[in-house]
Amino acid sequence: MYPEDLKYTTEHEWIRVSSDIARVGITSFAQDALGDIVFVTLPAVGDRVRAGEPFGEVESTKSVSDVYAPVSGEVIARNEVLDSTPELVNSDPYGEGWLVEVAVDDAGATAALLDAVAYAQHVQGT
Amino acid sequence: MGELSRSALHDRHVALGAKLADFGGWEMPIEYPRGGVLKEHAAVRSAVGIFDVSHLGKARVHGPGAAAFVNSVLTNDLSRIAPGRAQYTLCCDEESGGVADDLIAYLYADSEVFLVPNAANTVDVVRRLAAAAPPGVAVDNLHTAFGIVAVQGPRSAELMSLLGLPTSGAYMSFVRASWPSAGTEVIVCRSGYTGEHGFELVSRWADTPALWDALTAAGAPLGALPCGLGARDTLRTEMGYPLHGQDLSTSITPVQARVDWAVGWGKQRFWGRDALLAERATGPARLLWGLRATDRGIPRPHMTVYGPAGAPVGEVTTGTFSPTLRTGIGLALIDRTVGEGDTVQVDVRGRLSTMAVVRPPFVPASPR
Repeated sequence: MYPEDLKYTTEHEWIRVSSDIARVGITSFAQDALGDIVFVTLPAVGDRVRAGEPFGEVESTKSVSDVYAPVSGEVIARNEVLDSTPELVNSDPYGEGWLVEVAVDDAGATAALLDAVAYAQHVQGT
Repeated sequence: MGELSRSALHDRHVALGAKLADFGGWEMPIEYPRGGVLKEHAAVRSAVGIFDVSHLGKARVHGPGAAAFVNSVLTNDLSRIAPGRAQYTLCCDEESGGVADDLIAYLYADSEVFLVPNAANTVDVVRRLAAAAPPGVAVDNLHTAFGIVAVQGPRSAELMSLLGLPTSGAYMSFVRASWPSAGTEVIVCRSGYTGEHGFELVSRWADTPALWDALTAAGAPLGALPCGLGARDTLRTEMGYPLHGQDLSTSITPVQARVDWAVGWGKQRFWGRDALLAERATGPARLLWGLRATDRGIPRPHMTVYGPAGAPVGEVTTGTFSPTLRTGIGLALIDRTVGEGDTVQVDVRGRLSTMAVVRPPFVPASPR
């Protein structure tokens, strides 16, 4: 039910790492819990993000959630289309609804994150 | 807190996959997977939405002089309406003038008034009324004797007609209708809390599922959606309609919340009269205003409002994203030093968001 090629955080972010570049978004569970997303606030390209610390916000009609960095690194891309079409986070959270791309400081840091099975168990426990 | 109460339509909501949440002690749908708040909101503004609002209370005050009794305690002037009409009114605290509840009073006859209080306040309202009722006037809590379904939107009358339900009534009038057959009575009131033309249907608890099924089936070709209380909140916020527990409470008076149009100032008696007359004479210390964000901030309840001089001047009581305006809007209780046309700053989680102080509605209202 959660893509197997991704890693996950307990805060409901996903990360896809290829070489030293990580793409980050929020999970289907997270977007469903938030409801219709109306604003996405993301860091600028060049900003540093630190593992476990909030780097952005996803806001719905009902509530707002911080988004936490799964790994540390430098933002090399932000999904600009979310400024005008934040609903992509709802409709395609693992695809067009990605949030940022990060040049990862330590490629080994993702080993500590959850795989799809562990994340599914985490979600069931919440 | 005990177990949550459930609507007669609970099984329907579960079958539709609704997200359910506690609303005044009732487990009610917030949104449905087919819609979501934005789509459900849009359905009401452009077509028609169908809401289960069975969590709302129902109470009957009856006996000789029932209407006169209600008129002597609730704020609005019941003598301004005739039997067959309903009225927005307030149950204020006698001492403070604060609002214990805002409710709808349906005037059936001099000897019978039907009340629709808020879910969480029903027991309190019934207790206050029962304690004050004169001999011969009884107050019955009928919370689970009836369900209420709201049909709201520009195509609401069309949908009602498809079921053979009456649509010709004037705003805030109600009629008894037989549906689906003789002997099964539904009360149809031309009312709602969305700012759109609409109806609220009060049916016997056991008949409510059939009514819901008929409305949702007949409404589908019209673009009708089942709508949750999430959309009801964004719709009423766009109108600037207050919600008890946020914009109205026992510590907020009708003068402050600007619902004093629902106070019969000429009446000799109603709960809170002395306190409210005194406040009206001196002027309230604060007023409920609309806030409209000029940036991407969305106001949320309890956020602090800062005035043009940088000092705190009030607090947000309601706030959300306006699906129609695509910007943050809200209501806030603000000191009298600040008013319409001013620009304020709202502390949105540590960032200051700039908002205009405006007079609601935020979106043109067309409930009539």
